[in-house]
Amino acid sequence: MTGDTPFLRVENVSKTFEGDGVQHPSIHVIDNVSMDVAAGEFVVYLGPSGCGKTTLMRTVGGLETASAGAIYLGGEKVTGPDRRKGMVFQAYTSFPWFTVLENIRYGTKYRDDIGNAEKEEVSRHYLELVGLKDFADYYVNRISGGMRQRVAIARTLAASPDILLMDEPFGALDAQTREFLQNQLLEINREERKTTIFVTHDVEEAVVLADRIFMFSARPATIIEEIKVAEHITGERDIASKETEAFFYLRNHVRDLMRREARRTEELAQRELMAPEAKST
Amino acid sequence: MNIRDLFVYRGTSTSRADVVLAVCAFIGFIGFWYAVAEFEIVSQRYLPLPHRVVTALHTMLTEQNFIEDIWISVARVWGAFLLSAVMAIPVGIWMSSYRIVGTLTEPIVDFIRYLPVPALVPLLIIWFGIGESSKIAVLWMGTFFQLVLLIADDAKRVPREFIEIGFTLGAKPRQITWDIVHRSMLPKIVDNLRITLGWCWTYIIIAEIVAANAGIGHAIWSARRFVKTPEVMAGILTVGIIGLLTDQVIRLAHRRMFRYL
Ligand SMILES: Nc1ncnc2c1ncn2[C@@H]1O[C@H](COP(=O)(O)OP(=O)(O)O)[C@@H](O)[C@H]1O
Ligand SMILES: [Mg+2]
Repeated sequence: MTGDTPFLRVENVSKTFEGDGVQHPSIHVIDNVSMDVAAGEFVVYLGPSGCGKTTLMRTVGGLETASAGAIYLGGEKVTGPDRRKGMVFQAYTSFPWFTVLENIRYGTKYRDDIGNAEKEEVSRHYLELVGLKDFADYYVNRISGGMRQRVAIARTLAASPDILLMDEPFGALDAQTREFLQNQLLEINREERKTTIFVTHDVEEAVVLADRIFMFSARPATIIEEIKVAEHITGERDIASKETEAFFYLRNHVRDLMRREARRTEELAQRELMAPEAKST
Repeated sequence: MNIRDLFVYRGTSTSRADVVLAVCAFIGFIGFWYAVAEFEIVSQRYLPLPHRVVTALHTMLTEQNFIEDIWISVARVWGAFLLSAVMAIPVGIWMSSYRIVGTLTEPIVDFIRYLPVPALVPLLIIWFGIGESSKIAVLWMGTFFQLVLLIADDAKRVPREFIEIGFTLGAKPRQITWDIVHRSMLPKIVDNLRITLGWCWTYIIIAEIVAANAGIGHAIWSARRFVKTPEVMAGILTVGIIGLLTDQVIRLAHRRMFRYL
């Protein structure tokens, strides 16, 4: 590691959810994970369901506290959530009482770095960037799931975070919408160059979006491989990148890793079900 | 639409059909009442003909100053209701915001909530006398503790993600309480207030029967002394109509205010 501080540093982070000693046993979720992320990088956390990706991402965002280790953003220790760490969740979090534009505008509400006129400008900019200009005045309950996620992304970007943390944002969408949004995210990324951590368990999604993939093991999550996608798939990234030789190669490689870890996850689940403390409940 | 659909298990209906059926049910009910009274299946001394009740109401309004009783009851109900609401809403949200507040208050609130209000009336009269303050106290006791728990419960149901999004957009707890928690649960608050207002009408009649020299409850109780059954029923009918009307008005306002639902 070089002498200068990386943009984001995850340093020997471990996380155990303490049990209550009665019904819920303690769960060791993350085991000594370290990584550096450079400014502007698009990093993907890939791993089987339940391995601890969400937990790690939430820890980076300050929504969980690490049991050991620490996170540094811009050299500063992360102690809680704030505007520097923007989040997009899988669940629809756009506010139903607001219209599309009002939701996006809400992202600028607590900014003290810009005035009202500029906030309005920023909101409209992101409204257009996610392609929802024609739906500005629609209540979010009336638009599709894919559109709602675009609202959530725009709202987070409008807050101008230092890092964008996305937890399976397209996880609940159908395959076509998902691909469309992946493409749009690549476009947005070209324009914004926002440092991003994107969590998914979808191999193709990981490979097409990532500059770098961190492949996690079954729980407790450890990094089993770091895949430098950007070194293989060079140049402009878009949905057509899925047709390249390099993409196939990486996808197959990552898929094999995923299969192995998914099997281990399944075995782990079975063992836990048969464990004595689980039987009694 | 097809009439048959109405008989299908968990079938659908149209709002038009619903209205027609509701009116039919009402007419059927009145008709049944007429029949029972007309043929004296029950003596008319106990069950007067429906139109006698309406005439009694008319006489009360024009000759017995009943309108004043109505205003007094309405004022008491709304006074106590508003007092309950402005206290219960912030306290309920506060209980859901900090574990320490919730854990300390919930057992007490839960206990008081189960105390039967009629049993508290004598005590409240000892404490507050028979003036207005004891009426307000009865209604407040009967609604505040219920409402505060309903509010706390709804506040807890605000999706955790909404609150977390608030933090990551840079909001402070106070801003999250106002901009997200309160706003997210507002439709539920209005619903709960509507229900609470209904309880207030139950308790006001009890309070006015026990100790009052004005109000709808008092009018009903005075009429009873002379076995003026039509007047008693007219009083009850008045409460029913006021209750139904306010309920419908609030429902309408709810639909207007929360078009996004
Ligand atoms: N707040 C919590 N309390 C207890 N256990 C939790 C909590 N959050 C997550 N877990 C557990 O931690 C493990 C990892 O969860 P998560 O990080 O959501 O995995 P992933 O996002 O990779 O699917 C799961 O077994 C989950 O049940
Ligand atoms: Mg997850």
